[in-house]
Amino acid sequence: MTEARTVVAADAGQLAVLTAFVQEFWRTQGLPQQAALPFELALEEAFINVVTHGTADATTAVVAVVLRRAGADLTLVVADDGPAFDPLTLPPPDLSASVEARPVGGLGVYLIRQMMDAVSYRRVDGRNELTMVKRFTG
Amino acid sequence: MKIRVETLDRGAVVIPEGRLDFGAAAGFPAELERAIAQAGGAAVLVDCAALDYVSSAGLRALLVAVKAAQRVRCSFALYALRPAVREVFDLSGFGKIIAVFPDRATALGAAAPTPP
Repeated sequence: MTEARTVVAADAGQLAVLTAFVQEFWRTQGLPQQAALPFELALEEAFINVVTHGTADATTAVVAVVLRRAGADLTLVVADDGPAFDPLTLPPPDLSASVEARPVGGLGVYLIRQMMDAVSYRRVDGRNELTMVKRFTG
Repeated sequence: MKIRVETLDRGAVVIPEGRLDFGAAAGFPAELERAIAQAGGAAVLVDCAALDYVSSAGLRALLVAVKAAQRVRCSFALYALRPAVREVFDLSGFGKIIAVFPDRATALGAAAPTPP
């Protein structure tokens, strides 16, 4: 089992640091490049949700990101110390809406669910934890 | 993300290069709307050959541009999407609300005004 962890301020400007973190893990693990995009996307969506929604009262200071490889499973955990916020309760987007009717938003969690095999949330020790797992089949 | 704009006879081609993530998406609608204004009601195309990545923020920026283009009856389309970007596009249902073509020629052909 291999694990890498990084901690950043809960600030959208830190996204580039997290992208580099994923890409570095991919490189050191020798994983196929095209398989990185779902993780980069899931990480961005999860992180931006925390920055956008979870910082309502400006108490969220840091976001910890863990990448864990065990067998064929790759796990991504995004944890923050902000107020309780479960992104999985955000309303799903209306994918059939026309341009006029379509609200601008709601896609982040939906894309995470599409990119990952399993997504779960828990609140533990005063932290929000979003865990995303994808199994590599070859 | 770098953005170039090429002027055509009948509109403009916006050429983003790199990742259309949350950070890049912030300035993208303004670039697109500038191209739409300059195209003067003709066509604005987005050449996606050098677009590595798009997130929901990037899709939102494109949606804002589609709505702006529709308001002034400017046609708006993307072409040359990379497979990974195309997948995100299709998953989110955006393929139904934004025209997508394989290349510039077909995109321009579709944007040409139909003869009377």
